[in-house]
Parts: sequence; C-alpha cells; structure tokens
Amino acid sequence: MKKIAVAILALAALAFAGPASAQLRVDVTQGNIQPLPIAIPDFIGDPQGAQIAGVVRADLDRSGLFRPLDPKSFVDQVKDINTVPNFANWRVINAQALVTGQVQAQPDGRLRLDFRLWDVASGSQMVGLQYYTTPDNWRRIAHMVSDAIYQRITGEKGYFDTRIVFIAESGPATNRKKRLAVMDEDGANPKFLTSGSYMVLTPRFNPTAQMIAYMSYIGNKPRVYLFDMESGRQEMLGNFPNMTFSPRFSPDGNKVVMSLESGGNSDIYVMDLRTRSVARLTSDPAIDDAPCYSPDGTQIAFESDRGGSQQIYVMNADGSNPHRISFGSGRNGTPVWSPRGDLIAFTKQDGGTFHVGVMRPDGSGERILTDGWHDEGPTWAPNGRVMMFTRDGRGGAASSIWSVDVTGRNERRVTTPGSASDPAWSPLIQ
Amino acid sequence: MSPSRAIENRISLASGAGERTSPLGLITATVLHVLVIGATLFTFAHKLDLDIQDSPVVPVDLVTIGQKTNLKAMVKEQPKAPPKEEPQPAPPTPQPMVTPPDTQAEAAPDQAPSEPLIAKPEPAPTPKLKPVDQPKPEAKKKQFDINNIMALLNKQAPAAASAPNAKKGAHNVKAFGAQNAMTADIQDALRSQIAQCWSPPVGAPHAEDLIVDFDLLLNQDGSVARPPQLVGDSASNAAGNPYTRAAAEAARRAIFECAPYKLPADRYDQWREINPFHFDPRQMMGQ
Repeated sequence: MKKIAVAILALAALAFAGPASAQLRVDVTQGNIQPLPIAIPDFIGDPQGAQIAGVVRADLDRSGLFRPLDPKSFVDQVKDINTVPNFANWRVINAQALVTGQVQAQPDGRLRLDFRLWDVASGSQMVGLQYYTTPDNWRRIAHMVSDAIYQRITGEKGYFDTRIVFIAESGPATNRKKRLAVMDEDGANPKFLTSGSYMVLTPRFNPTAQMIAYMSYIGNKPRVYLFDMESGRQEMLGNFPNMTFSPRFSPDGNKVVMSLESGGNSDIYVMDLRTRSVARLTSDPAIDDAPCYSPDGTQIAFESDRGGSQQIYVMNADGSNPHRISFGSGRNGTPVWSPRGDLIAFTKQDGGTFHVGVMRPDGSGERILTDGWHDEGPTWAPNGRVMMFTRDGRGGAASSIWSVDVTGRNERRVTTPGSASDPAWSPLIQ
Repeated sequence: MSPSRAIENRISLASGAGERTSPLGLITATVLHVLVIGATLFTFAHKLDLDIQDSPVVPVDLVTIGQKTNLKAMVKEQPKAPPKEEPQPAPPTPQPMVTPPDTQAEAAPDQAPSEPLIAKPEPAPTPKLKPVDQPKPEAKKKQFDINNIMALLNKQAPAAASAPNAKKGAHNVKAFGAQNAMTADIQDALRSQIAQCWSPPVGAPHAEDLIVDFDLLLNQDGSVARPPQLVGDSASNAAGNPYTRAAAEAARRAIFECAPYKLPADRYDQWREINPFHFDPRQMMGQ
C-alpha cells in the first residue's frame, strides 16, 4: 500500500515537474586543474612586510595549488588594510584571491602582523588574522600566514610551518659523510645536528618534533639512537646485542617500533619509552622491516619477504593478524601511513627502477606518483597531502630530496644545502 | 633502507619449489580438461541464451539535437524578463580580524611553552571603515552583497526560482524528455565552457565530499544574474565540512570566472536558470 502511495506521489511530482523544466540541469564532471591565481602585494608598514609577503608567495607557489601573481602586474596598491579593496582592479589582472597585510613594530619591540584574505569574485573577506612575534621570528609568522591561506582555500591544514630532518651528504662517493641535519620546510635555516664522524640513517620525528629517532654507526655499532632537539643530547635506545634499525615513533610518542637483526634475520620490536620494556611483534623466519604505525596507533604496516619477495603487510599493533596488502608488480617496501589515514605511501622496485606510490590501507587503489630512476623513502606532510622522498641519480650521482603532491602533480626538488637524502617531515610546529 | 637491503642481499629469497609430476596426475588433468571443455560447450551456451533474454529491450529514438526539434512545445510561454527582483548589491565591508574557532593551526604555535615568542592571534579591533569607492558600472553585475561567504553557502535556493513556470501544468513526461533532447547542446556548451575554469580541490581524502549543487540564474547576455546558491545537501555539507566548503568555493569561482557564457540568446528561456548546476570531480580523481 505504502509503495503504491509513493508511486502515485512520484507520478504526481513528475507531472508537476514538467513545467519547472525550464530549470536546466547541467552535470559537470571535467575541469581544468589549475593553480589559483592569487595576488599578494608586499605587506605595508614595517619594511619586513615585503620579506614576509615574499615568503608567503614562495610558500603558496611551492604548493602547486596557487599561482602568486607577479607584483609588477598589479594595477592597484594596498594603502590601508582596513578598507575594502577595489576588487575591479584585481579582477583585471585575473586575481581570484587577494591577500592584504600590514606589519607594525610595537613599542615593546615585537612585530604585529595583520592580514586579510579576500575572495575577489564576490568581494568578500575569507580570513582575517593577527599575530605578534619577535622580529627574528618573522619567517615563522610568514609560514603561519601561508598555512592560514592554504587551509581556508583548500579545506585542509597547511604544512608550511614545519621542519624537515634529513641526512646531509658530503664528500666523495667512496667516503661520504652522512650527517643529521634539519631545516625549515622551505629549506631555510639549515642546521647540522651531528658532526659527520659517524654515519647516520633513517631519522624520524616524534609527534612533537622535539625528538628524533635514527640509526647511527657510532663506534661501528649500528643502533637506534634518540636525539633531543632542545638539549642536543643523544642516547642509544636500549642495549641490544645486535643491529637495531628503522625506528619510528608511535602516534602518541610513547613508543618506538623498530627492527632488530639476529643471525641474518630481522624482526619487529616495540619499546615503551617510559618503561623501556621491549615486546617482540613478529617472529617469522623471513625479514620483517620498516614498521610504521597507523595514525590511530591500532595497526602497523611493515615490509616482509615472508611470501617470497618483499611486500607490504599490515598487522595489529600487538603483532596479531599480519596480512599482506601489496599484490602489484615488483617488490614493495618502506610503507608509511598517511597522517590522515587514507593512504599508505611506499617504494616500488620494478624492472630495475624505484618509484614512490600510494595505496589504500587494504592494498587497493595503487598509484605510482614519481617517475625518477631511483625514488624511495617517502615521508608525509602533516596534512597527508604532499610527500617528500629521496631521488638518487644514475651511476652514483648525488642524492636529492624531492616533493610531490598526492595527486602525482607538482613534482619538484626541495632546496637543501648540498646533496641530501632520507627526509622526514615534522608535524606542524607547536 | 640500506640496512634492510644489506640484510636482504645476504639472504637468498625462496624461489618457487619444483612441482612433482606423475602419470596419474597427467591422466586426471586430461579428464578434467575434457570435462571442462564439454561443460563450456553445452552449459555456457545455454546460459548465454538466457542472458540475452534477460536483457531489457530499450527502444531508442534518434532525435536531431538543435533548434529544429520540439522547440515550440516548451519555449513560447516563458517570461521574457530576467529576474528584476534580485537584491541590490551593497558595498562589502571588511570584517574584523578574528581567529576562526575551527582552526588550530593559527593558535597552536602559541600554546607550546617552548615557543613563547609567538603571541596568540588576537581579535583585531574593529577596523575603521573608510568610504569605499563606488564599483565601476561594468563591475556592478558581479558586485554582490556577500560579505560573509558562509552566510552565502548556507542559503538555500529560493523556492521562487522556478515560479515563473509554475502555472503551466499542461506539460507531461513526454515534454520533459523532449526538453532534455533539445537542450543537450546547451548543456554541452555550458559544460565545455565551465570546464575551462573549474579547478576543484582534488586532493581531498573523500571524493564524494567535493560534490556540490548550485542554482544559477543567468542574464540574457550570459552574465551571472544572482550569486549562485548552494542547493540540496550541498549547503549543509559545506557548512560542516571544510572540504565541501572549499569545493563549493572553487565551483563558485569557476562560475564567476567563466561568465559571461556564450549561449544562444534566442533560447534564453531554456538556460535562464541552471539548477542543479552539478559539480562532481570524482572522475578527475579516478574514482
């Protein structure tokens, strides 16, 4: 009975829908992915306003999602950020968004920055924020402005106020120095954390970006170490008889999961940093390596050759229910779970080349994102939108760090002081 | 990578173990192959017949798309005048600077004791408004009273949008279908024009969050007559989901950027109102 009533209603609705058919339905499924043209005039007020606006322009340009317009093309000037811009003057240069900002030195020596983000087509304000900082901190405040613009326009958090820890390489290939180094996301403020007298590999940030776990060959004993960013102190993690490597923090920062080698085999262990207790998570006779927690901490992805070739597996955080998720061609390894949980980045070795790709946590939807000859070791931006990786040149050419969007677009080299490898992206600085 | 590779190099991977064969296995395999081929020949053929019978018959009428067909059935009674009742645009005013309650990125750096130098973003004093220059006449059509974009996104399309046609109850389903046929070229024209301008935020984790529907009123010269309104679930989704909001704003920018639309002026009543103007980027994301 109910069905008949519904059918009658539907027919009646259809009969009345006829006259309203002057409303035309148009389905749009194809577009033209283009960076958003955005006008960012130099911020007015203090002379540092020009530098800050320059950093914001560079940040947004690097993301590939924005196209900061050349200030030389502007036909209008910002004289007061508290008046509404004349949007017609920004439309003629095809700006779709406009950023106006002002920097003022305060009596207490600090800088005050105000900025507004405008939607040019509708002439409406999208964001207005104000920051105070010391003058030497101007780059960070510029990155925070970039993050605010990025977040408002893309819908996801930015990643410009972050840092990258990496391995800085120098010297000839036969005697290459590998030092732990850190820099801002845009390559500014590079700093060496270790001297280079011993080799360092696979650095990883903890969730507060205050600590780095890495593998070091101090005294020719390859072990996992912790480096405290504030004190500069480093300590060996645990006292294992054999090599420990591939460390990575749990999402709460209280645990480090890593590989322990024993008799040519390796298995995955987890150490609680508070109690220093150690638990073994895998006990397969195959090589298990490169563990990485899911962002909710309930699962661990890792690589293993237990099935005959190196593939990616996922198990519960207590080691139960390990199951293979990668079934594509070649060998797949170095799984890194996206901070937003929707994807796992990995390295695929196939036909003599290495590429970085992503797949869903169930192994479906595999996509290769990079097209270098030897790309490996992905690390995620905190918003899960962009990743960096190491690119090696042919014939032992120097390594470099590159970034790529999760869509596979915007592949570009990251500025580093000299050759560099093994990047790890920090969370947003707090 | 390097340590694991080193280990891996030391260990030879297990290769596929050789399989044993026996005469019994060969005979069994042969018998099974014959059975399978026989089953395919007799059983599958029958199944295929059934499949064909199950397929619904779809009658197809070839319709010439364009002005020659059916136009008069729908067109004549349309009111000529474009909407005059649109609200007068008011000059926008800057809003006070505030910290959006939903963002932590701005506030976060100040909460950590290790970064005491950065002060919290604080609400700015209400800015003094200076007289705003009058928009140029040609810009007037696009100068809308939408100071607050969220207010815009939250608006439902006014029901009156379809009112001009409400009286004409004589059309039936056939006319509805005929309209589809004769407006297909207009739909294609709009699609191809907006595709040049539409750059959706395709990096979102869930593609379905990016689907938005607009109601768009156009002037006869193809310009936007009224700010496009989100309709259906899109309005509430955009209010609650930053990805949907970004997608809605990207579609809105595209609508403005591509205007004026090049559409046949003599058939204005067919494209005066686009509703729903449906934006779905899933194909672009491979989903």
